[in-house]
Amino acid sequence: MPRSNTVTIDAHAAATLRYIRASMERAGSVAVPGFAGVVMGLIGLGAAVAASMTTLRAHALLVWLAAAPVAALGGAIVMARQFALQGSVWGAPVRKLLLCLLPSLFAGAIITAVHWQAGNLHAIPGTWLLLYGCALICASAPTARIVAVLGALFVLLGLATLLLPDRWHNLALAAGFGGLHLTFGVLIARERHGNQS
Amino acid sequence: MATRASPRVRSPAPAAQRAKLAGVAGAGREEARFERLVYERVRLGMMSALAVREELTFSELKALFAVSDGNLSAHARKLEEAGYVTCTKSFEGRRPKSIYRLTVIGRAALNRYLDHVEAVIRATRPG
Repeated sequence: MPRSNTVTIDAHAAATLRYIRASMERAGSVAVPGFAGVVMGLIGLGAAVAASMTTLRAHALLVWLAAAPVAALGGAIVMARQFALQGSVWGAPVRKLLLCLLPSLFAGAIITAVHWQAGNLHAIPGTWLLLYGCALICASAPTARIVAVLGALFVLLGLATLLLPDRWHNLALAAGFGGLHLTFGVLIARERHGNQS
Repeated sequence: MATRASPRVRSPAPAAQRAKLAGVAGAGREEARFERLVYERVRLGMMSALAVREELTFSELKALFAVSDGNLSAHARKLEEAGYVTCTKSFEGRRPKSIYRLTVIGRAALNRYLDHVEAVIRATRPG
């Protein structure tokens, strides 16, 4: 018996609603380029190597502090290039992404200054990882669920780092800002490529 | 004597469901016009995207729906002619830039269409 290609009215209506919802979600979200994560990860690994060198080991936190704006700038340039290709560098979803990221990063900067002032350097790496993870979880709202997973891993790593002795801190920062960025950058890039093909 | 096989018919929908469907089937002329226009999915997608974003550039729409320049231009022109979207053309440096916005009429038509689609689903849902 030949198969019928008939589509019921309700199935067509449901498919139409799904399509409308998907279009709205796509329009309101930001496609974060995986390459930005790769760039930030490589800078993170570079900082870890520099901070572990004998001459710089005593100033490891300063090395990481210097690497942070470089990595942020590298990631921002890659993202801005992609957004420009899509037509708007400063669109509403990009503004929403920044609004999600910035409060936790600002809190991280203030808490770092307070810890530094109090000489409580032990708590700084864990705080960085923890609050960066919070920023990423928040940023997953206008981006993708995979960003929330990355954020959750940063949070877990941050909590663990707060409990670890100082000698493990450089490794923890390397695992987070280097390894996690790099791994998830590749995963996001692969996923995006898969969706496009 | 061989008995004649009765023709196969689909079991009719329950009376209450048929009554509900008849209620939503009589869409107005404006809904019918909108439905004809958004039968092409890209146009429905453009309207939906513009409903959540104040404005979208030609490049953004092109990236969202993965269509060619010519294809997108044709769809956008149809929506413009219907009065559902407006297009503002300007220059960014030397590059032309087209910005699309949903009109009040377009938003109202999309809302009515959404209500209509939801009503169809409600009417066909058993119980």
